[in-house]
Amino acid sequence: MKKYYSWVRTLHLYLGLLISPFLLLFAVSILVFNHPGNFNKKAPSKNSTVLTTSWDSIPVRHTDLLTAKAIILKLGIKGEIDFISKNDSIISFPVRTPGVINQIRVNKLNHNVSVTRTEVGTLRATTFLHAMPGQHNASMRGNSGFIATWRYIVDIIVYSVLFLTVSGVFLWYLLPFERKPGIYILAAGFLVFIGLLLLIF
Amino acid sequence: MGDFIRKFLNLNRKTHIYFGLFILLFIWLFAVSGLLINHGEWKFASFFEQREEHKTDFILPVSMLTNNPDLVSQVNDKLKISGEVDNLKITSGNIDFRVYSPGKVRDIHINSMSGVGIIKEMNYNFWGRLKTLHLFNGTSKADPAKTPNWIVTKIWRFTMDITAVVIILLCLGSWVMWYRIRSEYKPGYFLLAFSLIVSMYYVFFIDLL
Repeated sequence: MKKYYSWVRTLHLYLGLLISPFLLLFAVSILVFNHPGNFNKKAPSKNSTVLTTSWDSIPVRHTDLLTAKAIILKLGIKGEIDFISKNDSIISFPVRTPGVINQIRVNKLNHNVSVTRTEVGTLRATTFLHAMPGQHNASMRGNSGFIATWRYIVDIIVYSVLFLTVSGVFLWYLLPFERKPGIYILAAGFLVFIGLLLLIF
Repeated sequence: MGDFIRKFLNLNRKTHIYFGLFILLFIWLFAVSGLLINHGEWKFASFFEQREEHKTDFILPVSMLTNNPDLVSQVNDKLKISGEVDNLKITSGNIDFRVYSPGKVRDIHINSMSGVGIIKEMNYNFWGRLKTLHLFNGTSKADPAKTPNWIVTKIWRFTMDITAVVIILLCLGSWVMWYRIRSEYKPGYFLLAFSLIVSMYYVFFIDLL
């Protein structure tokens, strides 16, 4: 195994450096996800601005997503359309980028359009990225270029993390002075993990 | 090299190894469950369609249901259920709330006039439990001020926090370790700069460009 040590160490080092900023992003977002009340107090969302206008016609396409895309193109807004709600007269949807939510509301009868912009800040930007692409609205997820790309970046990060953990264990095992205490710590982590699962289930 | 720096570097190296080993299983859990959440198209891991549902009727003393500040916990004790309580709605004649834990959701409806109630329970399979563990922190999108009200949720949320803090330490520690030997690993400059630029672009500049 020792003949692979140098290769694995180099790969571990370079891959770790490559994904570390993204891991920091995910780690910070976990703290924001878990303590929304604290972060809302310290960094509240900035006041929304509302733009209202009236159009001659509403661009209607053969699917709701394409209609929503045509509407934001006409408004000059870019971002990921999160979900779409509609009834006979209204089509409404949030368009999100990390840190900004534009809530679009279009009245199909009188052609009134309103845009409510909310700046949620950098910390919530990390939670948005952490939650994307996510499990909801899978059929329309990745409707913006940056989330379509982010989907692949997230996969690369997760597979890299799995490689880093396995290679990390390999590298540790070949360090004779760290092996014995490492086994105790690995066992302690294992016991805590199993104990928590038993507590939950 | 000063003694203090030597000690710091040694401590950083040991921290990187031992903390990494300690949270190994937690990282695997969150990595695999994250993949499952992002890949709903992986049919082998579908859970909602394969959920088990059943209903249980019950009757509680009406005296327990009126003017009782400790209503939910007493009802849960009586029904022998535990979990994170959410969506409590008390209207004239009706009490509704949800009690959930990873892989298990119970919606409880009680007629407070008669004491008659029903529990609608959903149980998820292994994959559903895994996915819900990833998301189980006791917060609510609808009510950001909500904090966990079940001790197990509090412990699990603390575990997530610790995992996040350890990941931050591992990442920053890895930069220190690379910096020491940077002359032997020069591509590290490019890789770190590249990923910092891409990650910062996603966080700060998507809206501007």
